Amino acid sequence: MRYLDLKRKIQEIRINAIEGIAEAGSGHPGASFSAAEIMGVLYFRELRHDPSNPTWAGRDFFINSKGHSAPGYYATLAVAGYFPKNEMKDLRKFGSRLQGHPVRYSKLLEHHSLPGVEYSGGSEGIGLSVSIGIALANVLDNKENNVYVLLGDGETNEGQVWEAAMTAPKFKLDNLVAILDRNKIQQDGFTEDIMPLDPVRDKWVAFNWNVLEINGHKVEQIMDALNKASEIKNKPTIIIANTVKGNGIKHMANNPQWHGKAPPNMHIPVLIEELEGEYMIAPSIIAGEKENYEEKIKKVERGGADLIHLDVMDGIFVPNITFLADTIKKLRPITNIPFDAHLMIEKPYDHIEEYINAGCDIITIHAETCDNEKFCYIRDKVMSAGISLGIAINPQTDLPAWAFSYLNDIDVIIVMSVNPGFSGQKFIPDITSKISNLNMTLKMEGYKGYIEADGGIDASTVKRVYDAGARIMVAGSAVFSNSDINTAILQLKHKTNVTLERNLLKKADENSIRKDWIIARKHILIPVANELGIEDELNRL
Amino acid sequence: MNLTDFELRKGDMRSAYGSALVDLGTINKDIVCVGADTTDSLKTKKFGDQFPERFFNIGIAEANLVSIAAGLAIAGKTAFASTYAAFLPGRCLDQIRNAICYPSLDVKLVVSHAGLTVGPDGASHQQIEDLAIMRSIPNIRVLAPADSVSVFKIIKNIAEIPGPFYVRLARPSSAIIYDDSDSIFQIGKANILQDGSDITIIGCGLMVYKALKTAKILKERYNISARIIDSYSLKPLDNDMVLKAGRETGAIITVEEHNIIGGLGSAVAEICSEYHPCYVKRVGVKDTFGESARDSELDILLECYGLTEKEIERVVLSTFDKLKK
Repeated sequence: MRYLDLKRKIQEIRINAIEGIAEAGSGHPGASFSAAEIMGVLYFRELRHDPSNPTWAGRDFFINSKGHSAPGYYATLAVAGYFPKNEMKDLRKFGSRLQGHPVRYSKLLEHHSLPGVEYSGGSEGIGLSVSIGIALANVLDNKENNVYVLLGDGETNEGQVWEAAMTAPKFKLDNLVAILDRNKIQQDGFTEDIMPLDPVRDKWVAFNWNVLEINGHKVEQIMDALNKASEIKNKPTIIIANTVKGNGIKHMANNPQWHGKAPPNMHIPVLIEELEGEYMIAPSIIAGEKENYEEKIKKVERGGADLIHLDVMDGIFVPNITFLADTIKKLRPITNIPFDAHLMIEKPYDHIEEYINAGCDIITIHAETCDNEKFCYIRDKVMSAGISLGIAINPQTDLPAWAFSYLNDIDVIIVMSVNPGFSGQKFIPDITSKISNLNMTLKMEGYKGYIEADGGIDASTVKRVYDAGARIMVAGSAVFSNSDINTAILQLKHKTNVTLERNLLKKADENSIRKDWIIARKHILIPVANELGIEDELNRL
Repeated sequence: MNLTDFELRKGDMRSAYGSALVDLGTINKDIVCVGADTTDSLKTKKFGDQFPERFFNIGIAEANLVSIAAGLAIAGKTAFASTYAAFLPGRCLDQIRNAICYPSLDVKLVVSHAGLTVGPDGASHQQIEDLAIMRSIPNIRVLAPADSVSVFKIIKNIAEIPGPFYVRLARPSSAIIYDDSDSIFQIGKANILQDGSDITIIGCGLMVYKALKTAKILKERYNISARIIDSYSLKPLDNDMVLKAGRETGAIITVEEHNIIGGLGSAVAEICSEYHPCYVKRVGVKDTFGESARDSELDILLECYGLTEKEIERVVLSTFDKLKK
């Protein structure tokens, strides 16, 4: 699946999960949210499965051992097409197929279980052993199906997990991949206070597993780890996914109170606004000093860049020349951060294969270089390679009429806020209203992709484009002209975050829950109270 | 149904289990077996020697054992999971309940060394609560065969029936009661081993033999005609046969190598009290833990805990007295 489409699907998982939990009045948002990326990558990228034929013999197995992440698991299955999304509202309801903890699907229990659910979770510590049983059977049957099992970190307090941890290496189960959702919180508090797990990596190494450690909210890291796991022979793999419990909703994040609590139903519109407000910062590596690109990529990776924006210029479509596909290919191995390739070239039609083969995750071509027929060709090529497709428009260009027929396939629309060709130009103020008008039009057309603002984005302009509806912000000079790249990225994120908080307050007002929202959100709002102008209001609480 | 001259021949339930597994494995490649460092004792090793790739020794990790069996069943196998009775139902109740019974998976839990006749190992190993525990979990069927012939046939039977089973075997070699050729064991049925009209004695496991021997004594000494029933299927219980016995003989004595709470006696009393109230008296371990006894002292041990022909005889007579028969 295409990177940006995957990001949207994961957003959808969180939204469906939180709506279900709020409707039910109970459930586990924290665990659902820490594992959203993991489940999303598994179901939309990794697993061989068929929602229309859940018991297909060629399927990979997913065992959700941490059964309390049920809302997130159900939402994933719903988004994947196993059952209608509107059934999420029946979560934990009497007579519902969405039981409090997932139930293995069978004819016997068809009224209490969902097709696709392989394992009845709820009692912790059992799923890894069950997964070993499935993996053993697959070996016996010479099947290549893999077994993926999601473990909670609190769950590994259970002794049985370590019985299983001893067993899988004995049988050399390289068809088994465990993923540890290391969110560091369990019901009573932080894992290291309740029952310390660290050094968790050393423990699994000592048990003779192949151990990989990643940021479990970065889909590219999850995919990378899963790829590595598939190459390991004669050993099971565990991916320690460092996650944040409740990730996605700031006041729930890393807060033990939200392990098993439902938000009030009236908060839902604001929570959805926050989830939809997720954004990405994409540093453009042609900006700044002419140091080598590898160095810059490593720096922004450390600084928390979400995407690497690659400005490809051919000297014809734009007056400048930067680099072409061969350079991208050389840069690909140094990071797994997605490559956001922006082709400012005269004839993308002739060269599209080169960029597909170079390892780009997103390929955006300029509307000015295309017509309907050419775009159609490019779309087919890019999409069939599993790459996100983008279309870019110059400041004077409107989205062409033919482009509207591709809105289901386009993952990103780059709106240039400078004339392309050189870095370091000044932001064109009119672009804000262009983005916001386009955003409204696209929403009405049912567009689910992203708008990306490119050109002159810095700490002062980032909030304007974000407010207008951009969710990917390209930053060149604002990052690379700063002596401290980490601070520069943090500053952009901070400004965006404050804008988001302001929008959420507005949304809370619209829903008449301002006071309630501020109370729930207090610890997030206090550090930015000054910028939001709500110091007095907070003091009065 | 013909009975053997049970004073003459002895058989070993575990060997019968092992042989049945090998037979099953030969005809069905989806039969797998999981053990927990007791495979030699349980005789599942026989299966392992024949089919090493379908045999998994999990070590001393019973929770892991039954859960792996669940996984094998999820992937389409019929999984036999075995170890001593002492370590399965109690220790793994949660796994058996959630991972096997709730999804009704094709896992057969076959345990040995149940009851007091484990002998020398003492109370820690004398499992006298398992029938009560297992009976209370939905979806699983609970069986306690009386001899090696019934074990062999029952193991072969249940492999053909999808879903979870609990089968309870005893450690010692024991009298062979059934004739190999014509004995039949159906799930949810019981066998009348000897008809009688004055009283009914229903037993399971090794106590069926004691009931048969008591019946002889009752006939010879008191001219009491006792109906003897082997209720190898505790759940589902053969309700019709139990109620018929209650109606026709007026009183039922149950005999089991198990706590009198929750086992065969309870099962019989539950049915009778609801559908045909009659006098039911339970012979079994009287809600107490056992103790060690050497193999040569097993009779003393059973006598001390009231699991002998003498005790059954005493209970029958006192029942007659009570009911003014």
